[in-house]
Amino acid sequence: MNGRRLLSHAVPVLGTGMALAVVPLFLGGSPYGLRITSLMLILAIYAVAFNLLFGHTRQLFLCVGALAGLGAYASVILVRDLRLSPFLATALATVGVGLVGGILSYVGVRRGLGVLFVGIITVAVSLIFHNLLLGLRQYTNGETGISTRGLGFGLGETPERAYYVLLAVLVLSLGGYQLLMRSRYGLAFRALEDDELNAELSGIDVTRYKVGTAILASALIGLTGALYADVNGFISPAVFALGHVDIPVLIALLLGGMGTTLGPVVGAVGFTLVDELVRPFGQLTVLTYGILLIVLFLIFREGMVPLGIQLFLKLGRALSGRVPREAEGAAEGSVGGSESTQRG
Amino acid sequence: MSILLDGLVQGLQLALLSVGVVFVYGLGGVLNLAHGQVAVSGGLVAALLMQNRLPPVLACVAGILFAGLVALLLDQTLLRQAYARRGEERLLLGIILTLGLSFALDGFFTWRYPNVALTLQLGSPYVRMGGLTVRTGSLAVAALALTAFLLLLGFLKTTFLGKAVRCIIQNEVGAWLCGVNVHRARTLTVVLSGLLAGVAAVAQGFFSYLGPEMGTEFTILALIVAVVGGVRSLTGTFLASLMLGLVNAALSYTVGTYITWIVLLAVAASTLLIRPEGLLAYWP
Repeated sequence: MNGRRLLSHAVPVLGTGMALAVVPLFLGGSPYGLRITSLMLILAIYAVAFNLLFGHTRQLFLCVGALAGLGAYASVILVRDLRLSPFLATALATVGVGLVGGILSYVGVRRGLGVLFVGIITVAVSLIFHNLLLGLRQYTNGETGISTRGLGFGLGETPERAYYVLLAVLVLSLGGYQLLMRSRYGLAFRALEDDELNAELSGIDVTRYKVGTAILASALIGLTGALYADVNGFISPAVFALGHVDIPVLIALLLGGMGTTLGPVVGAVGFTLVDELVRPFGQLTVLTYGILLIVLFLIFREGMVPLGIQLFLKLGRALSGRVPREAEGAAEGSVGGSESTQRG
Repeated sequence: MSILLDGLVQGLQLALLSVGVVFVYGLGGVLNLAHGQVAVSGGLVAALLMQNRLPPVLACVAGILFAGLVALLLDQTLLRQAYARRGEERLLLGIILTLGLSFALDGFFTWRYPNVALTLQLGSPYVRMGGLTVRTGSLAVAALALTAFLLLLGFLKTTFLGKAVRCIIQNEVGAWLCGVNVHRARTLTVVLSGLLAGVAAVAQGFFSYLGPEMGTEFTILALIVAVVGGVRSLTGTFLASLMLGLVNAALSYTVGTYITWIVLLAVAASTLLIRPEGLLAYWP
């Protein structure tokens, strides 16, 4: 039974991985297509991390862009100025960003700040980071940014390899997410989502779980930021701005479904499709982001994945007249599948 | 000395901007992150009307009224959704919805009117006042802001609705029980905050210029003031505005914009950590 359950949890993750793995075959090696899909994977990883933060522990970290930027700039500057190897630099950046996220979360939890105040403080942190990047010209090159050619793993020159490296990170983080949800963390999350005070009263160390989650999620964001620097070949304050990272991540997560395994991935795919549609209209993208955010939060709070599961369950009930036993796992797998057909 | 004066006048303008944020939050628990964009909408309308050869005074009045109208629409559509919830859910819905609106408006303004800007020039750029050379624009802003504040104070202290507003800030349920129509008072406050934001936008036109992309900057400044001054205290807001205006002018002059921003944001963030109710919230 346990083996079967493990399988039912692994199927959606592996299915998504395989569906996304064949995408480059359909792109016919077009560099533009590979770039867009790589950015989509990066968005999906950010959304997985943000899902842990906001979806499960209600920590509204509006500094995903700043954390990613910190990872990116730290890894690039460590390689450039201290001549560290890219592996070591990326590892250091990942750990460092994890710690920063942990400290932010610790302060928030200890001071008992609500969603609103954590949101404001993290926005302030984002803006401070942005101004620091602009101000510390001698290290960051200000608004012009840094070209990262020759300062990383060289993923920028081999777009296909970049795509698969990012896909590996995504699948690993989804797998890690599944394991986390099956561990004591998963139980604690469920208690926290219901009522934080009750969770605390029933002996759950809220501080530990919230801060631990923040460290994990921030480290993942930092790692992805460092990889982004390498893949993109160029970093600047603008590419890590609030409107460039945090808002898309928030939209992707809401679109796909908060608190679900595949929600971040489905949301990232959906967001990328919409973004590609409106990109030719320039500034209209910002307008679209805003409207999407409002509509999603007002009308579509559930997201696509829970909706897909419901539809699947209804379908299954209609076909067999009873509730399929492993319906949930199978339904998530089917959403992963349908999403790949949607793209192809 | 002239920096000091500039800072004070800037502080007055900041106060115009932030009073709206403070009021709306104090009354409904919704932090309006689209406040700066409401202000910009008013300023842009004034600029567009002036392009169509309307006299500046009329154009500005129309712009201010338009900002009030935008605020009314905001209240009737998005904020209403937030007010229907309670507690943390209301706070969350409030910030996400207004954040979305701020992006939507920002995108619209920079897409549709990328080159429209509001600048207001007076007859002579400088006047001499007791040995000091003062910009006439600054004087106009000071006069504008002080008039707006006197009207606001008069409204709050003397009229029944004003009393009702102060009553709701203190206790929403209590206000209901005393027969205050909380919904109407809230709508009125949001409209008032929009009008004041419009005045602030016009003031910006006197300083230098008001462009379509400045909404976010306005919102952030107002937010910093609201946080430092205390999100429920009018006097605190006023003092914080003047202080931040002075600090902003002095620092911009001595160490540059980036460090100024970092200092202001750091002050706001640490205020939230040390005294979440606001550093200057001692006064009623």
